[in-house]
Parts: sequence; C-alpha cells; structure tokens
Amino acid sequence: MLRDMFKKTYTLIDTKYSASKGNKEKEPSIPQGLWRKCNKCGQPIYVEDVMSNHYVCPKCGGYFRVHAYRRIEMLVDEGTFEEWNQKMEFSNPLDFPGYEKKVLAAREKTKLDEAVVTGKGAICGQWAVVCVCDSRFMMSSMGHVVGEKITQAIERATREKLPVIIFAASGGARMQEGIVSLMQMAKTSAALKRHHEEGQLFISVLTDPTTGGVTASFAMLGDIIIAEPRALIGFAGPRVIEQTIGQKLPEGFQRAEFLLDHGFVDMILERKDQKDTIGMLLKMHGREKGFFQKQRILEKDESLSYGLKDKVKPAASKSAWDTVLISRKADRPTALDYIHGLFDDFIELHGDRYFKDDGAIVGGIAFFHGMPVTVIGQAKGRNTKDNIKRNFGMPSPDGYRKALRLMKEAEAFGRPIICFVDTPGAFCGLEAEERGQGEAIARNLFEMSSLKVPVLSIVIGEGGSGGALAMATANEVWMLEHAIYSILSPEGFASILWKDSKKAADASKVMKITAADLYRMGLIEQIIPEEEEFNLETLPSTIHYLEKALEEFFIRMEGMDGSQLAESRYKRFRTM
Amino acid sequence: MFDKILIANRGEIAVRIIRACREMGIKTVAVYSEADRDSLHTMLADEAICIGPAPSSQSYLNMERILTACVAMKADAIHPGFGFLSENARFAQLCEACQIAFIGPSAEIIHKMGNKSEARRTMIEAGVPVVPGTKEPVYTAEEGLKLAESIGFPVMIKASSGGGGKGMRISRGAEDFQENFRSAQLESVKGFSDDTMYIEKYIEKPRHIEFQIMADKYGNVVHLGERDCSIQRRHQKVLEESPCDIISDELRQNMGDTAVRAAKAVNYENAGTIEFLLDKDKNFYFMEMNTRIQVEHPVTELVTGLDLIKEQILVASGERLSVKQEDIHISGHAIECRINAENPSRNFMPCPGRITNIHFPGGNGVRIDTHIYQDYQVPPTYDSMLLKMIVHGKDRKEAIQKMRSALGELIIEGIETNGDFQYEIINHPAFQKGETDTGFIPEYFPQYCK
Repeated sequence: MLRDMFKKTYTLIDTKYSASKGNKEKEPSIPQGLWRKCNKCGQPIYVEDVMSNHYVCPKCGGYFRVHAYRRIEMLVDEGTFEEWNQKMEFSNPLDFPGYEKKVLAAREKTKLDEAVVTGKGAICGQWAVVCVCDSRFMMSSMGHVVGEKITQAIERATREKLPVIIFAASGGARMQEGIVSLMQMAKTSAALKRHHEEGQLFISVLTDPTTGGVTASFAMLGDIIIAEPRALIGFAGPRVIEQTIGQKLPEGFQRAEFLLDHGFVDMILERKDQKDTIGMLLKMHGREKGFFQKQRILEKDESLSYGLKDKVKPAASKSAWDTVLISRKADRPTALDYIHGLFDDFIELHGDRYFKDDGAIVGGIAFFHGMPVTVIGQAKGRNTKDNIKRNFGMPSPDGYRKALRLMKEAEAFGRPIICFVDTPGAFCGLEAEERGQGEAIARNLFEMSSLKVPVLSIVIGEGGSGGALAMATANEVWMLEHAIYSILSPEGFASILWKDSKKAADASKVMKITAADLYRMGLIEQIIPEEEEFNLETLPSTIHYLEKALEEFFIRMEGMDGSQLAESRYKRFRTM
Repeated sequence: MFDKILIANRGEIAVRIIRACREMGIKTVAVYSEADRDSLHTMLADEAICIGPAPSSQSYLNMERILTACVAMKADAIHPGFGFLSENARFAQLCEACQIAFIGPSAEIIHKMGNKSEARRTMIEAGVPVVPGTKEPVYTAEEGLKLAESIGFPVMIKASSGGGGKGMRISRGAEDFQENFRSAQLESVKGFSDDTMYIEKYIEKPRHIEFQIMADKYGNVVHLGERDCSIQRRHQKVLEESPCDIISDELRQNMGDTAVRAAKAVNYENAGTIEFLLDKDKNFYFMEMNTRIQVEHPVTELVTGLDLIKEQILVASGERLSVKQEDIHISGHAIECRINAENPSRNFMPCPGRITNIHFPGGNGVRIDTHIYQDYQVPPTYDSMLLKMIVHGKDRKEAIQKMRSALGELIIEGIETNGDFQYEIINHPAFQKGETDTGFIPEYFPQYCK
C-alpha cells in the first residue's frame, strides 16, 4: 500500500504564494443557529428551507407546529386579513395561584395575546372568518378567552353570513380555569349550531395535536373536516388510555390517518395544498342559498348535442343474459371514470362520521359546467388490489351512511345530487349486519325521499337490489344501455325459485332487468347509449351524451322549489 | 494567501487540487468517505478527515459535515472541485457565513446561472446570442404549437426541470408536434412533477464549443480560448480538444469577446465556462454557463500554459489575475480522453472492482490525471471516471498520433474500461478529418447507442 510512503514535506523556493501570516481576524467558525436539527428526523435543516416548504421538514416531510400568524399568511390572500378581538381581558375565574404569571410568560414567549387568533380574510378571493389556534401558547388549551374569541368570531360570521374556518390545535381544556373551561365546549358548539342553521359553512382543520375538550366540541363539528398528515387527534390522550387499559397502543393510533380510516375526517391535506383546496371548497359552497340561485351559474354549452346514436329507442339488441355479462365486464368504466369525465375539480370527501370510510362508495363535490354539484358513486375496482379496497363495489352500512351524510350536506347548501349506481348488492357479511345494513338502507330511502334538491341516479353497471335502491330514490333514474337493475342477481333468483343457480341465464330472461325492460315498465326515465365495445376508450362519446342529458335534466328541474322536488320524487314512487 | 485548503471532493480532481496546493506551499486537508479510506487523495493530502459513509448524500454532499470538518481542521478555504457541491449556491453561501473562502464564484452568481431561464434572460440583456425560443414557460400543446410555428421547425421541446435527455423531444413539423409535446410533458410530470415546458429552435448537428474564462475580484476577465467537446455519448462528454480546427482567429476573437461580455454582465469571479452551440453556418448560441472548474480543463492548460487551479486559488484569495488577455496565446493542439470504468459492450455499464495490473504511458506531451494505482479498489458508489489522459502536440495531427500511441500503451487490468472505445474514436477517419459534431457517436458508432 502507498499509505505513508509519500513525502509530504516541502519548501518553497519562491515566496510568491507565501501565506499571509497574522491576518487571522477572520477565523473560520460556524455561527450559532446556521442550521438547526429537525426534531423528527434529526437531520440538519435550514430555517429558510423550512419556511418556504410550509414549515414541513424538507428532509423527512415531518410537520412542524406553525405560529398562528404564519398560518394565516399561508392561508389568507395577502393584505386581506383583519384581526378581531386581538386583546381580551384576562380572566382567572378560580383565582388560581400563579395563573396570571403563566399567561404573561406565554404572551412574552409567543408574542400572542392568547392561544387563538381570530379575524376575517379572503382565501383565493372567497371571504371567510378564520380562527387559528397556536399550540405554543399553553398548548392552546381552551379557557374563557379562547372560547369567547371563537364564539364571538362565529357569531359575527353568522351575522355577516360568512363561512367559518377553524384551525384547531389543543391539549384540551385549560385546567387553571376549571369548570369554566368546560363550559367553553358548550358555548362554542352552540354558536356553531346557530351558524349551521343559518346555512353557513364550517370547515374544521385539525392540526397536531387536537385533543380533549376541543376535539369534543368545535373541532369535530365541521361540515367539512380536514386533517394535517400524521396529526395527533383524539379525545383522551394516548398516555391516559394506555394507563387505563394497561395495554400498549398500536402504531398510528389516533393519528390523522387512523381517523380517516374510521370515518371521522373528510380528507388529509398536505399543507402546500391547503389554501387552494380550502379556496375551492369555499367556492363550491357559494354564498347564494338554494339550488335556484345556483342554477343561474350553470354555464350552458351551446355546442353540445347528442352525438351517439341520438336518443336511443328502447329496443334491446342483446339478450338479457348477454346484458348481464356485459354489465359485469371488468373493463367497463366505473363510477370514478364518469365522475372525472363529467365533472371538474372533484374533491373527494370521506367517512360516515360514525365508524369507517367505506371504499365501496366514493363521493364528493365537483363542478358541472360551473355549477357545484354533489356526486356519489358506488365504485368497483379495476384490479384485485383495488377491488379489495372497494370490496368489489358492495357497500357496507358505513358506505350508505357516508352517502347520506354527503346528500344532507348537499341539501344544506342547495347543491343537486348525482348518484352513480353500480353494485352487485349491499355487502352481505357479519360486520354489515352488526352495524345495521338493513337500517342503513332503509334510512337512505327514508331521507332521500324528501331531499329538497334535485336528485338524479344513473345505473351504470349492476343495479343490485336494495343496495342499488339506497342510492336511487331519485327524481329521475337513468340506465346505461347495457346496465341491469333487479330485485336480486339472476343467480340468486334461480336458486330461490328453481333451487339451481346455474339457471341464471333463464332467470335473466323472465326477470325483466335490462334498461329496455325497465323503460317499457315506466320505472326509469332514460336509456343512455353505449358504443358497441364499451370501455375507457369509448367512454368519451357516452360522457358527451350524458353532458347534454344532464344539462336538460337541470333545466327540467329549474321550475321547482325544494318541496316541489320532494313532492315529484314522492309521486314518482307512489305510482309504482 | 490561504494557509490551508480543504478539498471537498474525491478522485482525480482532488489529487489535481492537492498537487496545485503543494506547488503553492499551501497545506491541504482531504475529506473522504468510508469507501475512500484508501483513495489516493486521502493518502496524498497533508491531513485527511473522514466525513461519513459511502453514499455521497451522507459524505461528499453533506454540507454540514464538510463545514464542520473545515472548522475543525482550521482550513481557511474550500475548493469544491467539480460535481458534488461545486455548483450549490447554498453551500457557497454557508461557506461565507462561516468565514471560509469558497474557491469559486459567489452564491448569487451560482444561483443565477444555475437557473436556466434566468441565465438566458441575463444573456439576452447582455447582447449574447441565444437559441431562438420561448422566453415564457408553455403548458399546453396548442399554445406550444403556435410558438413552434413562429420559431420555425425543427424545434426542441424541453422540460424546465428536465436533464440528461429526459423530458426532451425533437419535433420536425406541425404533424408530430403535439404528440411529442405531450410525451415530453408526461415524462417531466412523472419524473420531476413539473409540467413547465420550453420550446426552442433545434439546431441540427451542432458542435459543442465552450470558452474557458477566468475572472478576478477586480473586474478583470480573460478568456482562454475554446474547447471542442462535441464527441458526446448521451450528453456525456467523451473526448475534448483545444483549439477547434474550424474556428478561425476572427471567430475565436468574436466568441471569446462574447464570453467575456457574458461573464462581465454577471460580475463573474473565478473560473467559469460559457457553453455555446456552433451550427453548420458558424452561428453560435449561448447554451449555459458552468460556474466551476471543468473536467476537461487540462486541454486549455496545455495550449495556454496556464495552471487553472492555481489561478483559481489566487483570485479566490484576492489576488489579481496573473495574465492579461494579450498575454494569452494558443499554442499547439491538445486532446483529452476520459477513461472510465465502464463496459462499452454492455451499454457502458459501470464496472467497479480491483485493478490488478496497471501501466501508464508517458513521454513528451503526455499527461495523466488520475487517482488510481495498482491494487486500487474502484468503489461502485461514485462516478466511474478513472483517469484523464491529455496529450499536447504541435498541431491536431500530431496530437492525434500522440493520443493513439498513448492509448496503445495504456493498460488497466482487472476491470473493464472504455479505453478501446476511445482508441476506435481516435482511429476513425471522420474524427481524423475533423468531422466532429454532437451526432458523431450515434452516427459512426451506432452499435454503442442501443
């Protein structure tokens, strides 16, 4: 090896390059705070990188807690924020010793007057009341001042007919204020109820950590609930739970992702997308009340015409059994394909707010020619993995409850509802029965019948029994040319009547389940044509046809107010 | 002048810098990764300090460790070499904050020239010709087509974040434009999550001509003639020479003045390279500026007699340039071949491993810059370049003869190299006639371009 063999001593024969001695006032050194350590991954990071990355670690993607004013800067259009109640008198209802000193210290440390900043600002041009909790101020615990500031902001939003956005973060109630702190939960919730009854939108954004009394009050009451990735969200803190049950909690317990799976948040949103998405949600919830004002914003597309086979005559070109097979084909477009094809800016919302987010039903808000609409579909998967997530398009009770929640939300904000039906049937299993599959379906029929907004259901593949009807109690029901809609599957029918499921083909003939059959029986309003080979490639011509048909549907519904819409839906089923 | 310099690099360039420092009486600190414990630069430097595990991200790219090492070893300057942190504006800025001299231009210039569209804008303002194309980003194929038609076909469709041929397409007419635009954009979206595209005139079979410039802190800028780096494989330079035979004295002066003007426009400091494309009609267009010393700098050293690394250290320490433009004369012809540990018959797959037997050519006008030696283990972690062989002759013909002879003597056993591929290039009649453009390898060596 060459190591230690090189001669390293040398003398200079020319002084041209000799080092300048004595000039050492600029000794190399690393200034304090030149870089910092990420408290999540331990890597060195730079303040400006973190700031330009929405206070997210550029190395590990960990979320840092954000100062309330920085949060407002990231959210609100520049120069539009007007702060309300910046200063509010300190209150110490229990005369708790040392409490005032503690608050003064927190004020000094955070340069904030209290743990929440409230005010009004525009987000992508949409005005809203914004409240932001700052966890650095006594863990953003909710005392009288926090409760009062939030309540006053909500009340003013109700008066000024503005939506409310609250960025929640909290360790819970403020212990130093005792029972008075507890009352803030009721106070803020009551203010939100009035705001809701005035038909105004509340978006709750859950940041790390949102726990205790705040979770059990305003944080969980959003019409839309958004969570930041990996945020800790829960009622009882994980340490308390562990001590109580004497068990170690699983990884990811009470994190945002856990809540999404369990149906309590609509979406997890990266910080960089928050402004745009919240701006879009505000736009979708408009300020005009009711479908009728909304309708004026339907931008009619004059160039639209029926291109495909024109309006179809109800003559079945295929045998009933062939139709059954076509309706089940694996490459048939699924609800999501229609949603993305027909609508713009679809924002998916998740969860039933009770137990779970069911992958078999997708729903959310989108624009149809500039008009906000709620769209819900029963979603089959494209491959096995996807199908496991979507349970082969067989919804659980949680799915129906999610659909109903979204429909109620649409009704509250006057948006029409479009449902895509495509299910072999409601999921039949132990868990489904435990959580009340029958009740969930029944509830949908019950509630959908009186919705005060137009409801349209389109059967795009299989319309399997009650599982389909729970999303088809609509003002109009349309079917794709080769979709089916039936009391149960031909296989099931054959096995009940003839004790032989192999006679499904014969059953399909007598069951009258094709679009043409149902049209003749007066059970559906329209048949939507398909290309000969119907798949993703040929979907666009059907989408084009549907676009025209949807426009006409909205024009038909135009003359009716909410109760007339419900009445016409009632009559539609009353005659059957 | 500096007392001690830390070399934030490895391989032959680290060795090259250590040698220059030694000649100048400056002490050196080598930094090395765990994989480079036995690398030549580690053993050659006066002091060496390990800065982390083999992956570059944890060693040669880890700014915090390098700075900490620099402070701990009491070095007062850092030479970044090329690659790694050499064009990292943040690193240059951190060096300044730590009162360490960064041997290269300022963070501001690195940042400005590193941003393609800003560099282009600066050059247009300085009156430097650029490839005709869009000044504003394009996002849709329809929009792009209109622009392409106004520029004139053929056009190059380029992704803003693209590189190494990714997100790049050539369109020869309106018929294939939209298809090419969409596929380039898709590639960029998939690879870089960015749909920003640019469209520019596609210059067919250009020569890649770059001018070496050198500037001090007092606004003095000189150019040191050109290098023809047209022999490229997938945008990677393979062989470089200086001067370029088809460039007349008049054109050289014109291009050189333009390069100096470009450098002055940004208040450039230290060594830099202005890259131009030279088309068949001898029109030249600014492509980009490299704000570091380049791999191929020795060819310029051989034809100008100037030591570029020493000059870099001089100007960084606040000295004036040692030469004026009128002192610089190009004499003779130099060629450099890059010898890499890669297997040309297997799509130039890198071939790390132990070198079992080695023989280097020598003699009049043959220079070898390398960090390899007998029994050296080439690590798989880094760039595959093993050595640069540079020859100097009185003219191009003599330089080619010398290179042919030297390549014939070069023996590296134990691992595969591209030595024979270089030999084939040197022996190719088209190369000997000087018919070199960036399409040379795909045209004459299609078997290597699959």
